[in-house]
Amino acid sequence: MIAFLDIFSDYRATFTFGLIYGLFALATYASLATGVLSMAAATFGAFGGFSYARLQADHDIGLLGGLVAGLLAGAAIAWILSFVLLRLSSHYVAMATIALVLITRVFVVNLPSLTGGPNGTGLVRQSTLWWVLGVTAVCLFVFWRLANSRYGLAATAVREDPQAASTLGVSVRHIQRVSLVLSGAIGGVAGVLMADQLQFIGPNTFYIDLAFTMLAAVVLGGAYHWFGAIVGAIVFRFLPEILSDYIDDGHEIANGILLVIIMIYLPRGIVDPRRRKQREHGLGSKRKSAKADAALAHDQAEAVTS
Amino acid sequence: MTLFLQQLLNGVALGSTYALFAFGFGLVFATLGILNIAHGMFASWGALIALWGVDEYDLPFIPAVVVGVIGAGLLGVAVDRLAFNPLRKRGTGLLGTIITSIGVAIILGTLVDRFTGHRTKRYPSGTFSEDLVDIGSLNLQFIQIVNIIAAFTIAAGLYVVMRHTRMGAGIRAVGYDPDAAAISGVNAGRVILLTAFLAAALAGFAGVLSGAATSNISRGMGDALLFKGFAAVVVGGFGDVRGTLAGGLLIGVAEVMGAQYISSSFRDAITFGLLFAVLLVRPRGLFSELELKRA
Repeated sequence: MIAFLDIFSDYRATFTFGLIYGLFALATYASLATGVLSMAAATFGAFGGFSYARLQADHDIGLLGGLVAGLLAGAAIAWILSFVLLRLSSHYVAMATIALVLITRVFVVNLPSLTGGPNGTGLVRQSTLWWVLGVTAVCLFVFWRLANSRYGLAATAVREDPQAASTLGVSVRHIQRVSLVLSGAIGGVAGVLMADQLQFIGPNTFYIDLAFTMLAAVVLGGAYHWFGAIVGAIVFRFLPEILSDYIDDGHEIANGILLVIIMIYLPRGIVDPRRRKQREHGLGSKRKSAKADAALAHDQAEAVTS
Repeated sequence: MTLFLQQLLNGVALGSTYALFAFGFGLVFATLGILNIAHGMFASWGALIALWGVDEYDLPFIPAVVVGVIGAGLLGVAVDRLAFNPLRKRGTGLLGTIITSIGVAIILGTLVDRFTGHRTKRYPSGTFSEDLVDIGSLNLQFIQIVNIIAAFTIAAGLYVVMRHTRMGAGIRAVGYDPDAAAISGVNAGRVILLTAFLAAALAGFAGVLSGAATSNISRGMGDALLFKGFAAVVVGGFGDVRGTLAGGLLIGVAEVMGAQYISSSFRDAITFGLLFAVLLVRPRGLFSELELKRA
């Protein structure tokens, strides 16, 4: 326990940023959960972060107000973008969101009155680790509840087979729009916390590196369960930090290698609900399999009716 | 008017580099279904390997370019074997290869930074002719002319290879459906290796030329080429070199003209704005009739 506390104080900042990255990863997961491969979380973060910076500079807004503003800014922009993005088929959504992140930076650089331009904006830090923990807990609670809701079921259906889902009366476009707005809201919140903790945001804060790493974190942690995003982001944040004690400059490379290896050997990520289900119901023991299947069917029936 | 024509020419030269890079990027996307984020690093590595040839072995420029191009090509094959091939059997789709290519981009990029010491390198002066060549009342740098000639020659060469040879037919067949191609006697494994080599070698070539034309050999150079090449491929359309060439030239000209007549700081806004607009209005690209079946 004491060793754990030691590690905790050593890596306090890393842990804080790990959680904030986790929020970005959750934002990416939110849209991925309905099959929308979007890297726009960085853009939503930029909207949240810069709105907060502006409000803090001009109106001296508190953290809670900032979080609400970031949430609204992110959600609003995601809602507007959903009308253009969701018309595209999946590969083009990925590309369009990459383009979007690239464009966002151009705007940040060229709107100095709003964003500070190339020099960026400074902020006063108001949040603590506990704030970040609290916000993360709330977000995770929302995802946990959503995963067990009718929306969660519909999202899974849309992700696995949009045609089948729409035959069953699920409006694919609507579910995806909701997921994108959710992604925007969480991305905006993450942007606010990021800006607050960094105390400085510039054109490169919410750029393509963040977008790519967060997508990578989701897949690393497990793209089929909401908890995977947080796990992935924290691993992605901690691994280089821990390795840098042993190797001076190889820690970036370690992250790259980790990504390739995870994708090849554990393509469903660290947190994989399917694996857990297999474990719970016994692996292939024939005598029990009928019973397990029945149990599984019962679970699913319950999920459908609840 | 002279200024306009001069900038048009500069834009074509810049666009040629983008197109050169985009040929390989588009080929990999259309044939192998990989949106390769690491492709820009092949350009940085090609330029870096050529620089190493010049610095360490006093190679003249042309052999150095050849070494750089082949080096980048081999790197491309290695990356395909290690990072993409294991995923082929699993059917992880676009997401899987995006993730491994992000991993590879991180690895290769960090290595570039380590070799350049986070600084911008350049070819020592005298490696290639730095004269200005007069064309009527206009002029271009020697290396810009090389860029233009290279882009058009390679576009023509690729077009002939893709449309009129068995190898090209094999590549297109694998792009359309690898299983069906294999059934009809195409050696899909060989086509994949060949495509990976060709695409990375083209990126390396673009990297060397871009490094020479802008005196900038770094990780950032590869990243810039990646995004501009990506834009060129999307604007021009996938899977057809003519479209990609047109897309690259369009972006090069739009950038230079935008910087000249609108504002130099909005240069990237024009490129990426064009990219976004084309994706929304005509996702298959301005010049492409080809439908993307698989990725």
